[in-house]
Amino acid sequence: MGFNLTVNGDRLSSAAEPATPLVDVLREEMHLTGAKPVCREGFCGACMVLVDGEPTPSCLLPAALADGREIQTVEGLAPLGQLNRIQAALEVSDAVQCGMCFPGMVVSLTHLLTTRPDATSDDIRAALTGNICRCTGYERIVEATLLALATA
Amino acid sequence: MMSGTPIQNIPVAARVTPASIYVAPSLAAARDALSEYGAAGAPLAGGTWIMRSPIRHEPLKTHYVAIGRIAELSAIRISGNAVEIGAAVTHAALAAALADLPEFAGLVAAAGRSANPAIRAMATIGGNLSTSDFAAADCVPALLCLDADVEIADRNGRERISLAHFLEVRSKLAAGRIVTRIIVPRAECRTAHIRLPLRRSGDYPVAIVSLSVSVDAANRVRVARIAVGSVEPSARRWPPLEDALLGRPLDAAEAARIAAELTGEFIGRDSVDAPAWYRVSVLPGLVRRAVIAARGS
Repeated sequence: MGFNLTVNGDRLSSAAEPATPLVDVLREEMHLTGAKPVCREGFCGACMVLVDGEPTPSCLLPAALADGREIQTVEGLAPLGQLNRIQAALEVSDAVQCGMCFPGMVVSLTHLLTTRPDATSDDIRAALTGNICRCTGYERIVEATLLALATA
Repeated sequence: MMSGTPIQNIPVAARVTPASIYVAPSLAAARDALSEYGAAGAPLAGGTWIMRSPIRHEPLKTHYVAIGRIAELSAIRISGNAVEIGAAVTHAALAAALADLPEFAGLVAAAGRSANPAIRAMATIGGNLSTSDFAAADCVPALLCLDADVEIADRNGRERISLAHFLEVRSKLAAGRIVTRIIVPRAECRTAHIRLPLRRSGDYPVAIVSLSVSVDAANRVRVARIAVGSVEPSARRWPPLEDALLGRPLDAAEAARIAAELTGEFIGRDSVDAPAWYRVSVLPGLVRRAVIAARGS
């Protein structure tokens, strides 16, 4: 039994086992390696994608429940190489360190900028509760997000 | 650092065992499917516990019945007497729906501060209550001190039992049965939910104290319900402390002092993230904070 989903605007199908985590379908079938399977527990946020517009740890979403849904990965956030607002702010603020957590950070913060244009530092920190940076580079990430909000 | 389980990347072949997932369109269809599957099947709501089975070295079931798209199970009904919460309501939806009802401040804190935002948007209240191996579930103690009932259904009908009783029997429920609703009576009370995670947020709590209290005109305690979570394998009420507070002024320092004398009845659970003694030792401090929060609610 297969399933169909829309990934970054493309309608795709998969024959994965129903309980396969979405992150494995994205990486191993669709070769979209931005989402990283790191903790596989929903704690670290490195596999975060947007599912129907909502940040979702793709390690915990079984493929069967992705059927018919719209998935946006970090690769879909900069179409034609044009960085979105948070990506540009992170670059300008020199906030990117090792990069392992960054796809997930970008996904969560893209959602925050869309839904909370009035977000404060505390709101940003709360939104990033599920995105862990092992380089502990949070301050610059928060500053970059405030910059992105200010340049809306 | 996070949950006491080691972080590991398990090969795909070991992670994915063949399992069918039936997306049930209605409660009747879900009950029929679960009945048919018997012990080989189980409900799947948010998936935040079941999808981590490989990390815990637990096999997946052969069949799952996904209940997240059943309208009846995703509804919250608020009346003058009670709040009825569908089993597939997410933590985020629950916190948002009850945010304006002061007597549910504790439950809102439990649902709205657990885990992280993305998990709160997936994890369901029914899953939180049904997962007997999850000692750190936030909503369990919060609902215990609200005197909640749980409705269970199968192909033959529905049954309503107290949450306390449900916690005793949940790991032994017959195959084919499913939690459908949580019913919370409304009452004039002040509530609080205090959790102690190792980090400020995002971690499982080391210990939880939930409190529901009502006082008379002289600020003396008329009714107190206190529940402790994450300290023992399952959350439970703390009757000796509840009894000791009756008739006394609602005072945080005094409540903490009494709690310190009564912690002996808890046998903490040992795990990688916190030793047993520590979980018990923080309880008086959490009681103090819970009383302060309840007084301010």
